Amino acid sequence: MATLRRHLAEPLSLWLGLLLVLVAVGAVGGIQTLLHGLQVTGLNDHVPWGLWITHDLSAIALGAGAFTFSAAVYLFRIKSLEPMARPAVLVGFIGYTCAMLALFLDIGRPDRFWHPLVYWNVHSVLWEVTLCVVLYSAVLVMEVLPLVLENPFFGRWPRLRRAGHQLHRATPILALLGMGLSLLHQSSLGATYGVLSGRAIWFKPSLPILFILSAAAGGVGLTLWLTILTGKILHRRLVPYSVQLTVSRFVGYTVLAYLYIKLWDWAATSYYSHAPGTADALTRLQATTPYSLTFWWWEIVLGLIVPAGILLVQRLRRDDRAMLVGLGLLVFGVIVNRWNTTLSGLIAPPHWSPGVLGGVVTASYTPTWVELAVSAGIIGYAWLAFTLAVRYLRIYERPSADHA
Amino acid sequence: MTKKPRPLLTRRDALTIAGTTGTALAFTQLVIRGPLSAEAMRGIGSQTHPASASGAPHQWRMVIDLAECIGCNYCVWACQAVNDVPDEAMRWNVGFPERTENGVDFYMTRPCLHCQEAPCVKVCPVGATWVREDGIVAMDYERCIGCRYCEVACPYDSRRFNWRTPANPNPHQPTWGEAEVERRPRGVVEKCTFCTHRVDRGLSQGLTPGVDREATPACVVACPVGARAFGDALDPSSPVARYLAEHATFRLREEFGTEPKVHYVHPERRTT
Repeated sequence: MATLRRHLAEPLSLWLGLLLVLVAVGAVGGIQTLLHGLQVTGLNDHVPWGLWITHDLSAIALGAGAFTFSAAVYLFRIKSLEPMARPAVLVGFIGYTCAMLALFLDIGRPDRFWHPLVYWNVHSVLWEVTLCVVLYSAVLVMEVLPLVLENPFFGRWPRLRRAGHQLHRATPILALLGMGLSLLHQSSLGATYGVLSGRAIWFKPSLPILFILSAAAGGVGLTLWLTILTGKILHRRLVPYSVQLTVSRFVGYTVLAYLYIKLWDWAATSYYSHAPGTADALTRLQATTPYSLTFWWWEIVLGLIVPAGILLVQRLRRDDRAMLVGLGLLVFGVIVNRWNTTLSGLIAPPHWSPGVLGGVVTASYTPTWVELAVSAGIIGYAWLAFTLAVRYLRIYERPSADHA
Repeated sequence: MTKKPRPLLTRRDALTIAGTTGTALAFTQLVIRGPLSAEAMRGIGSQTHPASASGAPHQWRMVIDLAECIGCNYCVWACQAVNDVPDEAMRWNVGFPERTENGVDFYMTRPCLHCQEAPCVKVCPVGATWVREDGIVAMDYERCIGCRYCEVACPYDSRRFNWRTPANPNPHQPTWGEAEVERRPRGVVEKCTFCTHRVDRGLSQGLTPGVDREATPACVVACPVGARAFGDALDPSSPVARYLAEHATFRLREEFGTEPKVHYVHPERRTT
């Protein structure tokens, strides 16, 4: 009994306990949604997309480390980055499963989740996204499965282990497939908004590019952040220091590229010109919401400029604590960006759109407890999966040298 | 003597695979252009929901004369009764007072505009909504997954999502009509159908939509001052074609490139 009590008081047990509570809270929210439909959310006909779509977009963006590292290691054969490939695939797998959980609850008819696979509308960017996400999730499953099957637990089924090993040998092909699918849907998620001619604040070709660049930076950034954090907790360096520095610089330059296009996007549409729809929507957003604050301070300064500084200044890059702050802010910035992108176009509907503007200048949306609970539950699941994987699988050890 | 193990996939192999896949994809696109093109999508819809019984081409359009409209709201209520829309927030045909820049008061009503280049149709991931050959933007409630992308894409706010099971009695029945279509279930999107059921049934009975009341959208029939006209734009003698020929009309937000099929007569039109 005493042993059990001591065991339960261990930090890991407390952490897992907290995560299980979060998952339970999420399950309650999920059941509420399935029973009563989307009326339990704060969504409405003016703002039909909200927290869960943000959750879904962020999870997919932050899972982008998987395709980036798989491509770097298995396709471009940058051998030195190999220690990062496994954690990246794990984070990607968790990200995509999170996104699919959120999406499943967010559609009005979860019982018809399979319809996009059967009824194709090739003209819909969302159809392309759905198909790519499903296919890429299958790729991620095949990439993660060998890591799971290596566990001594599966030693009693040698055939299963051999199958896992064979699957692992196919990793380069999976990496190629994954890169193709990811390049498609990571950008198409931006195009989901970018192609809507009726909403000026979204209607621009820069959105797909901004989405894929921020996904590459954020996805790799999150993988590195988790790696450094786990290392700090375990008092061990999990990947060679040189790898950490290389990856940091890669993320830093990607952030700079993203920042460059993002600022030009702003300057071209809102500073050097007065695009009527965009200007009108921005005016209404600035008058009624903290859009300026979240865009300039949270997204640009805290989410991009500060991380870029930390990642690219050598003295700061060599400081693990500064790195944790910088990468954490970058991940935060990507999430704020997905929220701002989704909500900005919906909160400020097209000016004089009959029915919307029956006196409505800006629509409003506040997530309900059910939405927050489900999001908390999905985040709980993500941390739970990551913690258990790091604890029981060889995520951070060098894979055995049996390449033959 | 040890031989360097050959990797399962060299970079060259990878590029070859990428190239082959790309070519194959491009080829597939060309091959499937037929069955998966916009025309074919419409075809799929027409099979499940026949566009017209007679087979003759039609192009249904509506004119709303804002100078004639007296703001009685009859069209709004008739629509709610006939299409069984009990929830006031989900009206397919909305009406509200407006004022022109010159200070002339008028009453704005707006059904679905049935755009030829409908943004909602392009974005639907499952093809649950499509432009029929006769121009009507139709919905398949059995296929809709409720993702609400069409609602986000529509620049006219014409679409409504069933957030809850519509269970309450319809306050507009039977005063303004009886339900002629089934209520939609929770979780799918709905919108004005141009009273497809009336148009299609009317045609099969040899009636002329826009002229015969039973074959004409409920809102047009309900209007006491004839401010709404409906009919086949391809038929020069139809009420809608005559209206379009005799009046200057405009369409909402033409700059969006959506090509709506609902035309408006300006409220400041000089009455003769």
